Amino acid sequence: MHELAMAQGIINSVIETANENNATEVTEIVIEIGKLVLINPEQLSFMLDVLCENTIVENAKFDIIEIPAEIECPECKFKGNANTDDLDHYAPIIECPKCKNKRVSILNGKDCIVRNIIIEQPN
Amino acid sequence: MHKVADIEVQHNIMEANKKLANKNKEIFEKNDIFTIDIVGAIGSGKTSLIEKIIDETDYKIGVIAGDIISKFDAGRIENHGVPVVGLNTGKECHLDAHLVEHAIGDLPLSDINLLIIENVGNLICPVDFELGSHIRIVVVSATEGDDTIEKHPMIFENSDLVIINKVDLADAVGADADKMVNDAKKLNPDVNVIKTSLKTDEGFQTVLNSINKFKNNL
Repeated sequence: MHELAMAQGIINSVIETANENNATEVTEIVIEIGKLVLINPEQLSFMLDVLCENTIVENAKFDIIEIPAEIECPECKFKGNANTDDLDHYAPIIECPKCKNKRVSILNGKDCIVRNIIIEQPN
Repeated sequence: MHKVADIEVQHNIMEANKKLANKNKEIFEKNDIFTIDIVGAIGSGKTSLIEKIIDETDYKIGVIAGDIISKFDAGRIENHGVPVVGLNTGKECHLDAHLVEHAIGDLPLSDINLLIIENVGNLICPVDFELGSHIRIVVVSATEGDDTIEKHPMIFENSDLVIINKVDLADAVGADADKMVNDAKKLNPDVNVIKTSLKTDEGFQTVLNSINKFKNNL
């Protein structure tokens, strides 16, 4: 459900940046979503399409990149991506895939970032 | 004619909430207020837990009660004679730091030393939104089914205290409360898990002890 709140945050951020840069149109938006954020990219994409109607973003293409959950294990020194478990949860389990330690540091995958936008500007 | 430009934005949408949460925490600490975020499904016993904490402790309590559209929970808590702000999220499934910031402004902060924030009934969405609280308590009842914890790992990985409530009804609904304890421990080995029945008082004192310990260790 909170895809709507997240989508609104994204659109606000894009419109703000577009206005600051005198954009006449936004044609492409690159968004990074961490696998540990409880957001379904397909639902997010649907919400973005609804929210950008009648704005400068209306015709933009959304490029959503999923960022894996990267962890570091203080026990066995493993550094890399966490696995999803056999229960088929969408989000990866916060656990060292090598030694199964749960007390790991999360390095990446908890963010939702508007990375860059492609805009058209008047000459 | 027009030209095309690639503009770097690097705007972290999660960060905006996190920053506000930190700001809220600063306000709590400036006023010597220990703050708890209580999450859990609809009907798990969040409001009952808050009512009991109000009635059976000497804390000077304030409450922020989140609900989708109603003020039922705020009304229940008001009857216990403590300051309460009801927060309606509209269609949103969680409280966020911005909403809490607004509610803080309506509370008599100098008269409070324990602030309890009751989140919207939901085991999923609140995970992504820190509010600025010192600890997060998740309440799950045995009647929700003993597979509830393994089905919602994130909230249990991201909480400080797990309360398995309504254990007096576990047998009646064929739920294994000990399995729920184990599931929580498996997901979060450091978390404190307490079995309670807020009806019979089982485990309630242990919950209070645990809250006191968190508060004193701050």
